[in-house]
Amino acid sequence: MKNILHLSALLLLITSCSDMGTLPNLDLEDQKDYFASTYTPMESEPTLFKSANIYDGLGGEFIGYDLLVADGKIIEFGQALSNSGVKVIDASGQWITPGIFDIHSHMGVYSAPGVSTSSDGNEATSPVTAEVWAEHSVWTQDPQFALALKGGVTSFHVLPGSANLFGGRGATFKNISQNTIQAMKFPDAPHSLKMACGENPKRVYGNRRQSPSTRMGNMAGYRSAWIDAVEYRDGMNERDADQRPTRDLAMDTLKGVLDGEILIQNHCYRAEEMAMMIEMSKEFNYQVTTFHHAVEAYKIADLLADEGICAAMWADWWGFKHEAYDMVPANIAIIDQARNGTGCAIVHSDDAVGIQHLNQEAAKAMAAGNRAGYSISKAHAMKWITSNPAKAAGVLEHTGSIEAGKDADIVLWTHNPFSVYARAQQVLIDGAVAYDMNDPKKQPITDFDLGIINPQINRVQ
Amino acid sequence: MKYFSLTLFAVFSLSAFSQSILLKGGMVHSGTGAEATLQDILISGNEIAKIGNNLTINGKTQVIELNGLPVTPGLISPMSNLGIVEINALDVTRDDESDILKAGFSIFNAFNPHSTGIPWNRSNGVTSAITSPGSSSFPMFGLASYFILDGSLEIKGLKDIAMFGRMGASYGSRAETLTILESLLELGQKASNTPVEEILEMRLADQLELQAQDILALNNLVNNGLPFVLETNRAVDILQAIALQKKYGLNLVLSSVEEAPMVIEQLQASGIPVIIDPMDNIPNSFDELGSSLLLGKVLDQAGIKVMFSTQRSHNYHLMRQGSGNAVAHGMSYQSAIRGMTLTVAETFKLGNRGSIIEGKIADIVVWDADPLEPSSFPKFVFIEGKSQDLSSRSTRLTERYTNKDDKPSSYKH
Repeated sequence: MKNILHLSALLLLITSCSDMGTLPNLDLEDQKDYFASTYTPMESEPTLFKSANIYDGLGGEFIGYDLLVADGKIIEFGQALSNSGVKVIDASGQWITPGIFDIHSHMGVYSAPGVSTSSDGNEATSPVTAEVWAEHSVWTQDPQFALALKGGVTSFHVLPGSANLFGGRGATFKNISQNTIQAMKFPDAPHSLKMACGENPKRVYGNRRQSPSTRMGNMAGYRSAWIDAVEYRDGMNERDADQRPTRDLAMDTLKGVLDGEILIQNHCYRAEEMAMMIEMSKEFNYQVTTFHHAVEAYKIADLLADEGICAAMWADWWGFKHEAYDMVPANIAIIDQARNGTGCAIVHSDDAVGIQHLNQEAAKAMAAGNRAGYSISKAHAMKWITSNPAKAAGVLEHTGSIEAGKDADIVLWTHNPFSVYARAQQVLIDGAVAYDMNDPKKQPITDFDLGIINPQINRVQ
Repeated sequence: MKYFSLTLFAVFSLSAFSQSILLKGGMVHSGTGAEATLQDILISGNEIAKIGNNLTINGKTQVIELNGLPVTPGLISPMSNLGIVEINALDVTRDDESDILKAGFSIFNAFNPHSTGIPWNRSNGVTSAITSPGSSSFPMFGLASYFILDGSLEIKGLKDIAMFGRMGASYGSRAETLTILESLLELGQKASNTPVEEILEMRLADQLELQAQDILALNNLVNNGLPFVLETNRAVDILQAIALQKKYGLNLVLSSVEEAPMVIEQLQASGIPVIIDPMDNIPNSFDELGSSLLLGKVLDQAGIKVMFSTQRSHNYHLMRQGSGNAVAHGMSYQSAIRGMTLTVAETFKLGNRGSIIEGKIADIVVWDADPLEPSSFPKFVFIEGKSQDLSSRSTRLTERYTNKDDKPSSYKH
């Protein structure tokens, strides 16, 4: 993301300076990364969790291990680690997992209360709005952030809605409520581009008697935009600044995809439509990172595995629309097990309640898979809500697993997290205690929550 | 028993001749709120003939060894759209709304026993359900009916067992909603001794475009104790609802009640049962600022009867996950089981259902693990003593797409 934003800033300079007929002496290091993350971790102290049971988020299970975090990072985990000079938490009999990562959230862009003035997720004024950025809509005081945190969610990816063929850019956040968007943004996380297949765009625009009103209209809309984007990209690569096109925000986003810097997060339910989107990605030479909702992903599980595309799914939602009719609860497991277990399955929420219980959603999906004949362990299923979504958001090098050197984004659970009775006891973000179920001072209260019931009573959590 | 349909009796007597089944050694949650105990259950015909240990049986009895698996009454959804909504976003598949009728809109004759949601919910342990009209801008949506989910074309259930409605934020003032609601209740009062034709000519009835069916329903609501399921959330609105209960002697059931903990003493004193979605802790509107995961616990500890709804798209069995979360936050386990079974049957007078007690209808589910864990699943589902097929479109699709034969999927069947 840094690169493309540098480039964008550079282009601004070029257009303004080219009038003078000379190219400025550009120093890339001096270019400001507009809207970049200013996130800094909260204060933390070196902590050793003793005798915990650990799912590392990569498929590993470690019983009775110690985990050391310090300076915001995971230092090491192993048996009988030295506890000198660090805070010690007895975690015997409890479970530790990586922080939960939701790849599909609308928190902040569809804030609670869900009133018209907070409905900021769909720029439903044109089928192609690749120019909008979800982060420019986010309300930092959305009370849903704190509820998700209580469910163990340490990071999440906020997407625009699915009214449009190209809905705009998505962004990744650390789950610490702050007063600016930039202060919440996950450092160095790439942007995504939200695309949407099927019923939503054709309904929204078809009802207005404009294109697209059909699925074929959807395809024509995407392809026309990609043709423009290829031309724009090629134009921007011209050596002669005078030959370059005027900067265009929507085209910047599509160009970012073509350049491999912006990841495609594609709302798409039906099998044949997902296959069509893959074909289109080959026509214009870009990669689809994830299909979202993907209720029919199981019908093309091998294709998705072969193409290295993740599918982010619900455990059991169906029937609310026609393209969500063919739900099978083994969908997630079938994707996971495709091509000898090389598939990339993700459990997503798309919902402010669901995001609080992604561990339970993973439990349902694992159980359904095992009923369908697979042998999927809890340790393995943990990937669906940790490392796989972190990979799909382009931040796996920072979070999503318990490995030395990664951000200390972890959850200490009261019970095994695949049980409905499990609650997050402590949630650490970059090593700092962002939530502690036993310490009211370590439970965030947004401005919205503060004193809203009556001046002395905060909204209960 | 006024609302009992005749077909219900007819079908019961026919199925009484089927063979006996012994469920041996299950951990039986009776639904009454009692702790689970290891018991045998003898099913004879459509009912639970005996419960005990080492029951004697005859040679024709089929014995199913449960080895301690949990057993509960069949789950009863108190609030569903089963059988009347196939696909929410496709109006042509919806039968849950009326443009003409209001309080008197009955969905009973629209019920489709072949709707795909029925085998899906049945295979997940829901053996019967109350199906209610969709919400509308009018404070009374219409009449809900009760259905047995065995998929039979001979529809079994109870017609028009409850009125559903809502009080709270709307496009106009809630004061206006409350006024209309009270006026409707007053029309209902008049209906006890005034001809329907005369009421229809009254100014308000005319203004609200009420029909004869609406007046009859209001009569049942106010004068005959028809349960009134009223959705409301704001603490002060809950108090308004309790005042209506007292003033008109309503058989009130409150749903959603997200701010109930703030008025828990008044709610407790009213004796009103509630239907909650324990997982919905989002302040979705300014009526629900007090929403919290502790709702189930607070209601349960006040001794209030709690039932469970879920808004999760045709998945009414997910009240198990909802109640499991309530238990995780302090509700008692047996209140949770009761809330999905006997409490619903008692509140809506559903006859001999909702508990595992001798002489009751044998709607029973045997689970592969703790029924409050969303990852557990039924091993056996019995409706009226008959073991149910646990397949659904989902299982058929799963079989098709886990079949690795090298041919088009349309030939894998």
